[in-house]
Amino acid sequence: MNVLAAEWLKFRTLRSTLWALAASIGCALVLTASTGVTSLSDLDAGHSADQAGLRVWAVVFVGVTLSALLIGALGVITMTGEHASGMINLTYTAMPSRRGVLLAKAVVLTGAALTAFLLIGAVGYVYGRLVAAPSHPSFLPAGAWQPIGAAALMMLMTALAGLALGALLRSGAVATAVLIAIVFVLPVILMGIPGGSDVGRFLPLVAGMQLLDQSPQDYMPAGAAFAVLAAWTTVPIGIALAITPGPWRHRATGPEALESRG
Amino acid sequence: MIEIAGLTKRFGRDRAVDDLSFEVHPGRVTGFLGPNGAGKTTTMRLIVGLERPTAGRALVDGLPYQKIDKPLTRVGALLDAAAVHGGRRADQHLRWLAASNGLSRDRIAPLLERVGLGGVRKRIGVYSLGMKQRLGIAAALLGDPPVLILDEPVNGLDAEGVKWTRDLLRSLAAEGRTVLVSSHLMSEMAITADHLIVIARGRLVADVPTAEFVRPGMSLEDVYLEAVGGMS
Repeated sequence: MNVLAAEWLKFRTLRSTLWALAASIGCALVLTASTGVTSLSDLDAGHSADQAGLRVWAVVFVGVTLSALLIGALGVITMTGEHASGMINLTYTAMPSRRGVLLAKAVVLTGAALTAFLLIGAVGYVYGRLVAAPSHPSFLPAGAWQPIGAAALMMLMTALAGLALGALLRSGAVATAVLIAIVFVLPVILMGIPGGSDVGRFLPLVAGMQLLDQSPQDYMPAGAAFAVLAAWTTVPIGIALAITPGPWRHRATGPEALESRG
Repeated sequence: MIEIAGLTKRFGRDRAVDDLSFEVHPGRVTGFLGPNGAGKTTTMRLIVGLERPTAGRALVDGLPYQKIDKPLTRVGALLDAAAVHGGRRADQHLRWLAASNGLSRDRIAPLLERVGLGGVRKRIGVYSLGMKQRLGIAAALLGDPPVLILDEPVNGLDAEGVKWTRDLLRSLAAEGRTVLVSSHLMSEMAITADHLIVIARGRLVADVPTAEFVRPGMSLEDVYLEAVGGMS
């Protein structure tokens, strides 16, 4: 718990992290506001309350992929900022379990990503509901859980993938470039070439946009899309945690051990 | 007390530390001398578990660093004063450090007063190197540890800062703490250290009381250069 308290203090005492978080939330809300004016004002009597409700939720999370990328960059700098300044040495002398430090950073980022998701969802929904009020949208139609769950996973996925890339690559510039390539560039390239969607649908953006109803077509069942997002949320950070040493055992070493190792 | 036994660290073919053995005892300031690249910093990093030894061991009060619970309360280390995030204030920097070892944050304000950063509200990024050295010393003292390891703590300090550091190190040793301090400044070490460990090319050259090392009519600098001359 001490490690978690320390990482939480580090996180909240840096203005840059708070700015990144604010930018991520603000970016999503600006897109929601600008989309909502056109997308929610043309709702008419032809829409059922559930259809109107679903349209509101789609508008709430219209900017969440871009927002997620900013959270991803925050995930990257949470780790690489310490390597760049050299403060990582102080961190590891105070907390010798490197895996424990990475795990604590992952927990703090999970909290930050979900807080951003909740603020985007709550503020965006109040706005969307007000704009769509004449068509009396229902609050949570059955299909609403799909975009809500996808938005939460997109935020969490990029935050933890960013942290994992930061831990594995240690350079902020390289890790951010790789994150952008995986999340934004590769899917656009793959979905544009013939047969590319066979591979592209295993990338998080394709699955996420389908669930958020921002995709021109469905590439896979919803359950499969959620599985893709869940995998990108857990596998990269899992790999980073697995190869980060815990407190190592002190080996019994002497002259003979030195010789045997050549 | 610090015990180094057969300590070896290789980076590729290069032996940064080569079968080094010595002890650092409490109650005195031990100067750690050697030319650039002699392995002083690597030895200190091995002691605090930042490097894994190729062979041998480094123990602090009988334990390898990795086995120490709440290490800041057993060992205070200042390795690189500039290696801090410039975006925080001194009190914020020490707060996460205190939290990491479950230490009370009440220690922070008096400690900042003690190192002369009491009224400073600036962010660390605009500190001079001397102010960062003082912050680094505060970080090392945060857990009130019986063992202190300081790599070039007077680097970048003005004359007043050098004297302040010397007095602090001597008073910490007088309190019965183990103090290991590296420096390039021979004249400074001659009046600060009670005991000297001299290494060159990763090997031990001398492990003697300062008074015995410096022969009558010669400065510490002369004896030191003579001692490491054949090695480097």
